[in-house]
Parts: sequence; C-alpha cells; structure tokens
Amino acid sequence: MTRSLPDLAPLDFETDPKGCCARLYESDAVRWLLDDQLHPGGDRLTRRLAQLAGIERGRRVLDIACGSGATALLLARELECEVAGVDLGSRAIEHAVDAAAAAGLQARARFVVGDAEKLPFPDAGFDVALSECSLCTFPDKRRAIGEMARVVRPGGTIAIADITADLDALPAQLRSAAARVACVADARSADDYASLLRAAGWEPVAIETHDDELRAMADRVEARLRIARMLAPPGEQRDRAAEASALAGMAIDAIARGTLGYALIAARRLASWSDSASSGSSDANRAALGERICAQLIQA
Amino acid sequence: MAARDTLPAATRSICPHCGITLDAELVDRGGRVILRRDCPEHGLIEALAYGDTARWFDAQRYERPGAAPLRRQTATVRGCPSDCGICPEHAQHTCLGIIEVNTGCNLDCPVCFAESGTGYRPDGYSLTLAQVESMLDAFVAAEGQPEAVQLSGGEPSIHPEILKMLAAAKARGIPLVMLNTNGIRLARDPRFAPALAALGIHVYLQFDGFDDATHLAIRGRRLQEVKQRALDRCAAAGVGVSLAAAVERGINEHELGAIVRFGVEHPAVNGVFFQPVTHTGRHPAFDPLDRLTNVEVIRGVCEQLPEWFREDDFVAVPCCSPTCRAATYALYDGEDLVPLPRLVDIDRYLGFVTNRAVPDLDVAQALSGLFSASAAGGTERTAGRLECVACGVGLPDELQQVAARGFMVVAQDFQDEWTLDVAKLRKCCVGEIVPDGRIIPFCAYNAAGYRAQVRAELAAATT
Repeated sequence: MTRSLPDLAPLDFETDPKGCCARLYESDAVRWLLDDQLHPGGDRLTRRLAQLAGIERGRRVLDIACGSGATALLLARELECEVAGVDLGSRAIEHAVDAAAAAGLQARARFVVGDAEKLPFPDAGFDVALSECSLCTFPDKRRAIGEMARVVRPGGTIAIADITADLDALPAQLRSAAARVACVADARSADDYASLLRAAGWEPVAIETHDDELRAMADRVEARLRIARMLAPPGEQRDRAAEASALAGMAIDAIARGTLGYALIAARRLASWSDSASSGSSDANRAALGERICAQLIQA
Repeated sequence: MAARDTLPAATRSICPHCGITLDAELVDRGGRVILRRDCPEHGLIEALAYGDTARWFDAQRYERPGAAPLRRQTATVRGCPSDCGICPEHAQHTCLGIIEVNTGCNLDCPVCFAESGTGYRPDGYSLTLAQVESMLDAFVAAEGQPEAVQLSGGEPSIHPEILKMLAAAKARGIPLVMLNTNGIRLARDPRFAPALAALGIHVYLQFDGFDDATHLAIRGRRLQEVKQRALDRCAAAGVGVSLAAAVERGINEHELGAIVRFGVEHPAVNGVFFQPVTHTGRHPAFDPLDRLTNVEVIRGVCEQLPEWFREDDFVAVPCCSPTCRAATYALYDGEDLVPLPRLVDIDRYLGFVTNRAVPDLDVAQALSGLFSASAAGGTERTAGRLECVACGVGLPDELQQVAARGFMVVAQDFQDEWTLDVAKLRKCCVGEIVPDGRIIPFCAYNAAGYRAQVRAELAAATT
C-alpha cells in the first residue's frame, strides 16, 4: 500500500468553529496524525467508559459527535447495543453508515447528521448519551448537556470522556482558536464538567483521570507533525506543520504540568433514586450512587 | 526465561576478589537495584545493578523466551557461570559473535577490559587465518545462519591478515560483519577504508568524546584528530560506522549528548553505542555502588539533548536480559530528529509479558530485528526493517528516504566481576567465540575467568 503525506489544509475557525472542527476530524490529514485513533486511549478507554457508565448488553446508546462511528460500532458489536450516532460532518456520517453496513451492524446502528446543541431525537429515547472527546469543542456546553439530558430516559446515564484543562494556566496560544480543534482551547477542569452536570440536575457517580493516555496521543501527534515538517516541501505546508507541532509540544508540556488531562465521567439524574435503582445498573454503581446521595444529604 | 516480577530476587554471582560462585540477591534500595552477596572470605559485596527500580520492573515486560542454538559445546557440570559455553542451561542463542584476533594493540589505554597493549605480554597471542576460519565455522555450526559477527582484539586492524579474516566472515554469508577498532589504522592508511568498503564491513569505532581530558583518562592519548580523520576516510569510502563510547562516572558523562549530535551530523556515522566502563581488566578506581548503568546513560543523553530524546524513547532489547541493552532509532533530516518509538507503539509489538494480539506480524518481526543485539544502524537490513515499520504504521512513502538513514542509539551495560548476575548471564546473546569452538557469553568471558584461561592456553600453544 502506498501512502503520501496528506495535505495540511488551513482551517477557518473564526466564522464557523463547530463546523470547522467537525470537518477537521473528517480530514485525511487529521486521521493520519491521530493514526486513526480519534480519542485518547482508543478502544481501551471506550470500553472503560462503557463500564463506568454501566452500559449493559442491548442498551440504547446515543454517541454525540460520533465521527466515523468507531465507538458506536464497538458498542453495537461487543455489547449488542442499539446505537445511534450524530455528527455535524456529513462525510463522517457517510463513512459511519458504510462502516456499519460493512460490519453487518446496520440493523443496530444508525447515523445521522445533526447538531449536538439541537439533537434530532425525541425526548427520553436512550438509556445512555455518550460524548467522547467532543464536549470540549462545543461552544455552548450547558446547552449540549441539556440536550443529552433531554434525550436520555429517566434513570439513564450520561457518559463523558473529555480533555480536562485548567484554562487560566494554559499558554495563550493553546487557548486561541487554532487550538480549539485539538480539543484544548475550550476544555474545562473535571470539576467544571461535574458542576455543569450538577447544574443540569445530574450527579457524577464516577470520575476517572487518564492523563497518561492523553500524553501518549499528544506524543504521537507531535511526532507525526514533525515527520510532516520533514517531508513537506519548503513553503506553506512545511510552515503549517512546524507551527502545529510547536502547538502540540506546548500541549505535551501542559500535560506534564497537570494543566491538561483526560477524564471519564459517568453521571446519573439526581431526581429520583428509584429511577436509578430500576435502571438495571450494576450493584457497584448503585452503591456508589447511594453513597454520593447520602453524602450530599449530610452536607445539606 | 520467566520475567522477574518481585524484589528481592534470588540469583547467583561471584566474588570479585576470589572468583568463587555465591548465592546472591537483587534488592531495592532507595529506588535503585543493588546486587548483594556474602563471600565467606571477603564479606558482604554489593554493586549497583540498575539505577532505577521502577524502570527495572518496567523493563522486565520485555523478557522474551530465548531461542536455542543448533549446537551446544559444553555440558552442565558445575553450574553457571562455570560451564561456558554454550552449556545446556544457557537460555539463548548467540545474536552477536565476537572474535578477538589478537591481544596486541597500538594503544595502551588506561581502560581496557581486554588488557591489551603495545608491549610484549607473556600471555599475548595472535590468531592465524586458519584459526579464525575454524572459529567462524563453529559459529555457523552453532547458529545455522549467524546474524552478526565482530572481529575485535587487541586492535584487530594491526593484524596482518585482518582483511582476509573479515572476508572469511563475509564469505560465510554473515550479514553484519563488524570491525571493532580504535581508528588509528583507518586514519593513517588511506587504503584501509576503501578495502573495508569493498568487503562491505561495518566499523565499530571507539569514540569516547571530545575533551582532551576524556581521551587522556580513557585512552592515554589525545586522539580527536585521529578519530576525525578515520571517520572522514570512512565517509569518503562509503563505510558505515557505529561510534562506541566507553562511559565512566566523572570522566565523560557530560559528553553523551555531544557524541550523539556529532554522530547524527557525520555522514559516515549511523549509530552510537554507549557502554558503561566494565571494571574488569584495566580500569580506573571506582565505587561499585556509584557506577553507571543504562539508566544513568540514558538519563544523561536525555538531559543533554532534551529537544531530541526522552527516557521512554529507549526500548529494552528483548533478545538478551532486558536490563542489558536499551536502544532507540531516530529519524533525522538535518534539522529535526524524531525517535521511532514516538511513531509506533513498540510495546504493543515487543512487550511479551502482556499477552496481547500483535497488530501486524511483519511489523513485529521488523521491530524484533531492529531491537536486537545483532542490529547496527545504517545497514541494508536495518534500513529495510525501518521501512517496513514505517509502512506498517501508515507513514507516508516519502518517509522511507529518511527511514533508510535511521540513526541508532544504544546503551549497553556489560557485566563485570562486581555486577555478574547469573540470571542475566543465562540469557546473554553476545558470545566470545574461542579457538576450541566454544562460544562463551561475553560477560562470563570477561568476569568469570575465561579470558585469562583462554589467553594462557593460546599463549602456551604459540610459544
């Protein structure tokens, strides 16, 4: 198989940050940079997130910003989940539909183009809404979480895997628009994500940090950008690669300092304990939830 | 051989003073691994085995079962390390064979594990071409298809028949034939590098640093100009070179980065091998608990070249015991340098303890060949394997040009009387081929008395 250096196209964030981000993840260059592993930890952390969120066999799961459907299809294949995926990128959705057909999973997996801040699904139709490495890219996070909450049935779960960031401690370049696409500029701390969830009436029942996986991913991207700089002819392409690799280097430093990280969060709706108890969650999760509710009551 | 996953770990060692074999143990002390044993006559003996306990455990993941040689030359009678070799207890075949063709040298270095020199020595020897040929035949008989052989000494380049000996190794189809040399003949004799090029020989050049103080402490002479001329002649003739640096605490630790930087920029140089000085033969005074191991060497390289290397760019080489040798490859384009382990998750292919499915067998095989004691930078095989890895992990075709020049950096901690650990020795894959056809693991040869024995036999036979 022959493969050439992909074109590192310039991006237009200012006019359409969200759309730009979705298009970016569809691009050959980005797929190449990420070695087709579009979020830290790859399948391993996807399985871990599913475990934390208590996703059991046959559950109905919505994957928000599903890209080419890797996570949704993994859940359909390994846990026989009934999955839906939504993404702003129409090319990604085409890929996902094709991949589902190729894997013979089209009966259990559907994919639609749509906006995370205005999900094209009715209320309460899913057991779990899952967002992997995408919440950080949404400009209106409150609204995105509100939408996830809306489409999950009472007693269901929101599962989030995302970049965590201490925004004040990040270098300015990383916070700029150019960094948004790399899930950095608008990421929040794990505590902030938890607060956003609580504000929407959801209680995080599990938070796990996996900064080392983010580090490994940033390393791969940085190394590949440096390779791209080596291979690109002198000029715009090479400059772009050099600039991007410098940015990736900054991200690596930030991870080492603890300013950037990666976390998995599973949250349940606080409203009704009986809902949660009847949702078929594992005993361990139920116990954890019980403990947290007790702790909250005591604090109150 | 099973990976060692707890400390203390039981092993055997020897007394550096009287040479007897002793039960020993590896223990963690303050985050470093210490080898300790009690000699009935000389008391408690301790030496630093590995500079970082966490990294010692981490390296054990790379413990891979060995492969048997086709032929073993000795029986197990007294137990390791007294039956070399190779005896039936040995757990690995020989990746790299070494033949020391003479004991004479054109230098008298203050550091020389082989105790070679310019003057007459009663136990000196010089092998004949016929002897070397029969040793090569023994190596072929043991290995079938040997991967690599190195002619060493003494100073092998002053042996009058060295070119014929190298040709004899090539004639036996051994892909990597190296000449281990101090470079003096290469610098002085303009015909020598072209002759090596014509035979397809890779040069393993002693190169300890740049400071006069380094040269004087390790070699007893200022040799920088000689090294530079030798390398330039190799470049002009098209001979590939690995720099081999003996590294000693307080002498040239500060030059590790400069040596790598010099190497990547010199057109003849394809790699650097850093070898902590073994305290066997001739060596300066030292503290066995403050010696250098691969940990300190790698740390030094990374501290001196932070823009290029990190400690986790170095991978434990799995053919020998995983704390013996660590290596990395780097892609260099004249401006930037990218270590290969950042581009491919090597642990997925070479980490043997975690029993996972290997993603791509071709890539795994290529990586196995690259991270081996029989590999050197810049050879055709290395280039082919780097290209295979680059292609297997989806790197662009254009990269093959860069990958073909992949630069190798190795830390290799050979054992001496102080650090000999039988559990490591049993996995040793660097073998001294001796004239009677035995293949003696290199560290046993130096530390367990075989060198003196073989020299005495050869000297007696030639007088």
